[in-house]
Amino acid sequence: MGTNTSTKGSFWSRNRVGIILTGIVLFLPPLSVLFQMTADTNFCGSWCPRMFFTWRTGMSLNEFLMGFLRSYMGVALVVGILVSTFFLGRAWCSHLCPIGGTMELGSRIVPRRLKIDFSSIPASPFRYGYLAVYLAASAVGLGSLCCNYCNFATVPRIFGAAFLEADLMYFLRTAGIINLGLVVVLGFLSRGGRAYCNLLCPVGALDALSNRLGLHFGKKMRVDPGRCNSCGACSKVCPTWSIAVHSAAKIDQLTCMPCRECEKVCPQKAIAYGRPT
Amino acid sequence: MTKKIIIFLISVGISLAAAVHRWDDSGHAIGLIKAKGGEARHPVTLASGNDRYMLIATATVIPPYAGSARVELKGRSPIPHEIELARPVVDLGVRHTPRFSDGILHDLRPRDRIALWVKMHPPKADPVCGMGCEEGYERAEYQGKSYCFCGESCRKSFEENPDRYRDQDSLRGNYTLAFTDTRTGRPVLNVPIQFTGKEEAGNGNEHQH
Repeated sequence: MGTNTSTKGSFWSRNRVGIILTGIVLFLPPLSVLFQMTADTNFCGSWCPRMFFTWRTGMSLNEFLMGFLRSYMGVALVVGILVSTFFLGRAWCSHLCPIGGTMELGSRIVPRRLKIDFSSIPASPFRYGYLAVYLAASAVGLGSLCCNYCNFATVPRIFGAAFLEADLMYFLRTAGIINLGLVVVLGFLSRGGRAYCNLLCPVGALDALSNRLGLHFGKKMRVDPGRCNSCGACSKVCPTWSIAVHSAAKIDQLTCMPCRECEKVCPQKAIAYGRPT
Repeated sequence: MTKKIIIFLISVGISLAAAVHRWDDSGHAIGLIKAKGGEARHPVTLASGNDRYMLIATATVIPPYAGSARVELKGRSPIPHEIELARPVVDLGVRHTPRFSDGILHDLRPRDRIALWVKMHPPKADPVCGMGCEEGYERAEYQGKSYCFCGESCRKSFEENPDRYRDQDSLRGNYTLAFTDTRTGRPVLNVPIQFTGKEEAGNGNEHQH
């Protein structure tokens, strides 16, 4: 059982929605404050967190490394995410990511009867199947998932399309319509709003590996099996369907992010965010 | 464990199908704007047959180039198109942002990054040579469908072998999104665009006029 940090007293837990909204304001149109610092208008460009680590067939080592320079803010972002996750859990995903945050908050205003429950899909094998193809397909020249399917390209343009013809144009093509469909179905319409993050985000998949590797060192969501009465309340509110309840709740660290929704509803105070004891 | 392996394999299959399939009504070109002529990393290939195409051209201005560049879609036939520059909705003035108006990218400065969205509406084409239909082209009907021909030789070729050409009335050939410095008239970036026919371009049907 982890060292409990009181849910009520935790700034990060109490203010998660506000923090997500701050991330949305900082990253997304109409203000796009952080992008304007680097002469970008969205995540496509120096902030791209996904393209630089994909090797494309025929690429020289020099070209591969140039991709790191071209996406220098994306590289800094991903390195920061992986290191912070090792020690603190996937706080980027749960609190700061404006893309996942938009989909989660958007899903909260969708009526429950319209929601789709993807929790029957085991998320970790699916996401690593996607990641394997994401890395391998372009390396062997079969095609590419990078850019063609990207919620980091889609969500900012959903915001921007209301103001700019250039952002609206993103959706006037087949790839744009499919990306919009994926964001709507796996984001806004999914129970918890995080099915896209859980299944199709390559950064999320890498981040989850860092989370798993840091299990014995850093702060993570942890269950005290001695306290758990297997009521299943935690499982019902988990947006990433990371909790399986049998004799006691068990958290899949390859999908869990410390949103702490489970901690809030646990009547036994059996789940806490903290270091291993 | 078996279930996890099956889900993994299903995911690999779906993802592979998605990766292999190309959505050929849009393309992305990445290029460099240089004083002595920049280049795009690879040509954009678009499959003929759609009413609308979208090209995303992103480019970085390489020092010491600074100036304004006219952006034109050049090729064998005129293609109606619209160009939009991606820009911040609310420009906070933190960094310099070029402007785009009247087909000109104004005030490009070293290390600026631009993203242009080009919406193209290609006209129907001469089924023999692939040139876009224009006013004054000859017209002929075949099986209830109207075709245009740039000249007598193309019309004859069609009439001799209509089955070969009847599905090829979409624009084909090589085009360029050309960036030209407004002061010197020199090209600073060329983005090649290929419209490939269903029968694949390069089958000997293209000819120069």
